Amino acid sequence: MKILIVDDSSTMRRIIGNVVGQLGVSKEDFDEAEDGVVAWKLLQENKYDVILTDWNMPNMNGLELVKHIRGEGSAHRGTPTVMITTEGGKSEVITALKAGVNNYIVKPFNAQTLKEKLDPFFR
Amino acid sequence: MSMTQEEIEALMNDTAIEDKVEPADDNIDDILAGIDGIVDDEPSSDEEINIDDMLAGIDGIVESEEESTSDDMDDILAGIDGIVDDGSSEDQVDDMDDILAGIDGVTDSEPKKEIKKESPPADTLEDKIDQGIFPLPSSNEHKIVNQLNQVAEDSEEKASQIFDVLSFILDENEKVESALNKNSKFIESQVELLTKLATKFPNIQLLQDNLNEANELKNTCSNTRNVVAEENNKIFEAMEIMQYHDINRQKIERVMSVIKKLTTYLNGIFEDDSKKPEVQIAKHISGDSHNTVENEDLDDLIAEFGK
Repeated sequence: MKILIVDDSSTMRRIIGNVVGQLGVSKEDFDEAEDGVVAWKLLQENKYDVILTDWNMPNMNGLELVKHIRGEGSAHRGTPTVMITTEGGKSEVITALKAGVNNYIVKPFNAQTLKEKLDPFFR
Repeated sequence: MSMTQEEIEALMNDTAIEDKVEPADDNIDDILAGIDGIVDDEPSSDEEINIDDMLAGIDGIVESEEESTSDDMDDILAGIDGIVDDGSSEDQVDDMDDILAGIDGVTDSEPKKEIKKESPPADTLEDKIDQGIFPLPSSNEHKIVNQLNQVAEDSEEKASQIFDVLSFILDENEKVESALNKNSKFIESQVELLTKLATKFPNIQLLQDNLNEANELKNTCSNTRNVVAEENNKIFEAMEIMQYHDINRQKIERVMSVIKKLTTYLNGIFEDDSKKPEVQIAKHISGDSHNTVENEDLDDLIAEFGK
């Protein structure tokens, strides 16, 4: 199980990585990216089982990244993608779901919530 | 629009000049310079003295340098019947009390403490900033967006360091748990062995004692493992709470964005694209609260110069 964590906050990346670690994923099995551009570059070079991305990031935000991932010709169109963001508005959730995210988590979240949302992808 | 340091210093210099008590004849020079037809022929020192006398005679012009002194108080007291101050002896203090007792409204009480007048505002830059006369200089330390950005970056760095500490504790706890498990397995095997021996040799008290001690150790290991697990849960809770660092950072970034947009808007609304040179502005206009001359004063001043 290989996971890509995309967030401009290093603290958030570590928090998510910690929870993912509790689900049995070792540190070697997840990569981190601080924005959409770095994430997209990693996606060109690696294959991931799950992508966890923030929305608001510099250079390329999470929504644009999801659109790239779900875009035509992308090798990751089928990769489960979860948006983890502070954007808690209904319209934002709808926008993200329309863009192609598989699940949506609003910060702050607890470890249990993240585990429950990720559990289907770990089976 | 924020002011540059140079603009603030220029503003300070102007104000400092205005704050100074200028000689009256300098003001006259300024006023007369503004009146057509009056030529400054450098009046002699005698004329300056006359001007001072004249100004002293004009109502409303008060020399601020004069302050009430103890001499004034002596004059007032001298005006009261029966008070004679020859300044000769202290015995007269008693007489003074008698006299004062006879004056209506004067009561026998402790002398009132003199009410200290508020000291005039100081002229330092810090004082003027404190009084709201000047804004803080627009240095990097006072630029709001810069400061907010720095707060966001610093707190990100510190949050990462806090996370390092929490991760270190988690890693150490993992080692403790591993050691506890190893010890527990050994103790459990000892309990099993001692239980068998104590059953087989019930008369040997030492075996029973060791079995009891091994059971205690087993319980201690179990309790310690629970403590470590609880500690880990608390660390995970702390890590979850650290999400608020990211949330707060985003709130700060939202404020920064509002300020940036507001700056752009204000720059746009105050922008002067007429390309006209800056007009010369009047320093003192009729109706201003200070430094304007009344018509009568103006006539007197003109008359003083024989014009």
